[in-house]
Amino acid sequence: MPSNNYILINNMGLFQRLALSLTLALAASTAVAQYYSGDHTFDGENKNQVSVSLTTGKNIITGPCVGNTVHYKHYFNNHWSVDGGINMQYTKGLYGIKAKGEYHLKLMSFHMFASGEYMFNHYNSYNTNENVGNMSVRFERGYWDITLGGSMIGYNMMGDHYTEPLTLTFGAHASLRPRTHDWNVGLLFRNYDDFYYENWNINWGLDFYWKLKPNWKLFGEFNIRPAGSMSQLASKYETTGKVGLIYRWK
Amino acid sequence: MRKTILYSLMATALLAASGLFSSCEKVSPQGVLLGNTSVDDRVKQSLIYYSYHGADLDWDLTDSIEEYSFLVGSDSHVTFDPGRLFEMIQIGIENDDLFYCHLGDIVDTKPEYYSNTQLALYNATRTWKAKYIKPLIDEYHTADDGLYFDKRITPSTKNYLKPWDDWNLPFYPVVGNHDITHNGWSLFCEQFKTSFYEFTVKVGDSYDRFIFLDSANGTLGDFQTDEIDNNALLNDDKPIRNTFTFTHTNIFRPSLNEFASTYCREELYYILDKLADWNTTIAFWGHVHAWDDRMFGGVRHITMPSMNFVDHPNGGDDLLVRVTVYKDGREPKVERVGLYCKERSKEELESLGYYVTTK
Repeated sequence: MPSNNYILINNMGLFQRLALSLTLALAASTAVAQYYSGDHTFDGENKNQVSVSLTTGKNIITGPCVGNTVHYKHYFNNHWSVDGGINMQYTKGLYGIKAKGEYHLKLMSFHMFASGEYMFNHYNSYNTNENVGNMSVRFERGYWDITLGGSMIGYNMMGDHYTEPLTLTFGAHASLRPRTHDWNVGLLFRNYDDFYYENWNINWGLDFYWKLKPNWKLFGEFNIRPAGSMSQLASKYETTGKVGLIYRWK
Repeated sequence: MRKTILYSLMATALLAASGLFSSCEKVSPQGVLLGNTSVDDRVKQSLIYYSYHGADLDWDLTDSIEEYSFLVGSDSHVTFDPGRLFEMIQIGIENDDLFYCHLGDIVDTKPEYYSNTQLALYNATRTWKAKYIKPLIDEYHTADDGLYFDKRITPSTKNYLKPWDDWNLPFYPVVGNHDITHNGWSLFCEQFKTSFYEFTVKVGDSYDRFIFLDSANGTLGDFQTDEIDNNALLNDDKPIRNTFTFTHTNIFRPSLNEFASTYCREELYYILDKLADWNTTIAFWGHVHAWDDRMFGGVRHITMPSMNFVDHPNGGDDLLVRVTVYKDGREPKVERVGLYCKERSKEELESLGYYVTTK
């Protein structure tokens, strides 16, 4: 039997829901996170989806973070998909775009997603352009997933270019409910997010989603991005929260 | 519920396993998620010390000096035998290097190791004072005045004359993650006082600026970056010729199998931008235990190899760097310098007064 909250939300109009989402986003402004909107979405069907989200938080270098992200994911069939995203972090002066291709294969009791991604970020304050290539494989089961891969990160600033050596990409996510459930809360642990791949700084945090209607999901994330994790002195670097809406259709 | 517990345990195991990828000898999952020491607190404490003693750090060299040099070492990771650290300073004294800089991870945190380091530096200080610090006896002063001078310093400056006990070894470290991993900051600051400071060397009419930054946590932190942006250090008003910076955490990873933390993305670009703003001549980095030498944004970046016995049991020809700076403004010369001493036996160390066990 659905809860009273579910009935209340279900009876809301679209604009009321949007207003609720934005209120939640603002309420999360002291805590924020970034939702990894391209992943963790397989719930029995591969559906096209578009998501919009608001991010707020604080970064020790750039101060308050306020920005938004738009993603679109398109399935050509049950195996192949492409994903594009735009990120605008206004107070950081960080603007990014990315494109990703993914192949989905059911492998015994796992779902395997192999992906290749290209990302471009412009850090306006330092007039720096960053190019990132990533190849990853993600294994999913009902309650958890693990991602392993590699990233190549290069940047141009002050007329010089540097490409970092290959960096391991790793992520782990565990959720309280199975992926097919109407709501979920999860724990994340990874060295990347929607619009960055880190070296050896490990993000961790909480995320959630709530299926408002069959095609609509409210999602959010609380993300702690410390510096110095692998030096064993993890220290405050960035805390962000993200709240957004996903619309899915076949 | 059982599944939830199982997956929580798996996540915890993954977290613990991640610590095994660390370059550190001591693995502490606590430090992977949450640090046990704050860069902000260290910098606040350092600035208090610096506000009282910052001006005492400056060197004003006599007109007869045409060039001076300094030695840079990194990651000595002293445990029972501080021999390599002592050898570095011994080489510096023999070569008349003006001072000695260390890029952090001097010690592996434990009190016994700090004690061994302190004893080695005490012995080095005695050798250094014997060579450079002389009693001032002239028509105005007698031996009873108890004042001593360093003939390399211009007589009219405040640092020229001091009582014997006030002369300290010119050893300028920055703090590294291993120095403080297990709440070792109290031990570090007891010996070395500060993790964020700068001084100048005046040679002829020009000043060279030496900036030491605290990046032991893999970040400069909120407070330190604000202080840098607000010009909290003293020497922004001097006509600076060369700027040299020293910090622990590296920017450039020499190869893919180095798993030590580097800076997060925005901070990486902030630091590179700041170094260019300062017209930095050479930026020195440690932490990664590997050599790298490159120009980026008009700044020469030198990442230093470690000088410890574990990485280099037989020493090596290139574990230190000597930089020679010229009065006539020529580009400073960089040369690599070797360390060769072998680790001593516990019996020998014990006979010299060093701790050879820990509790």
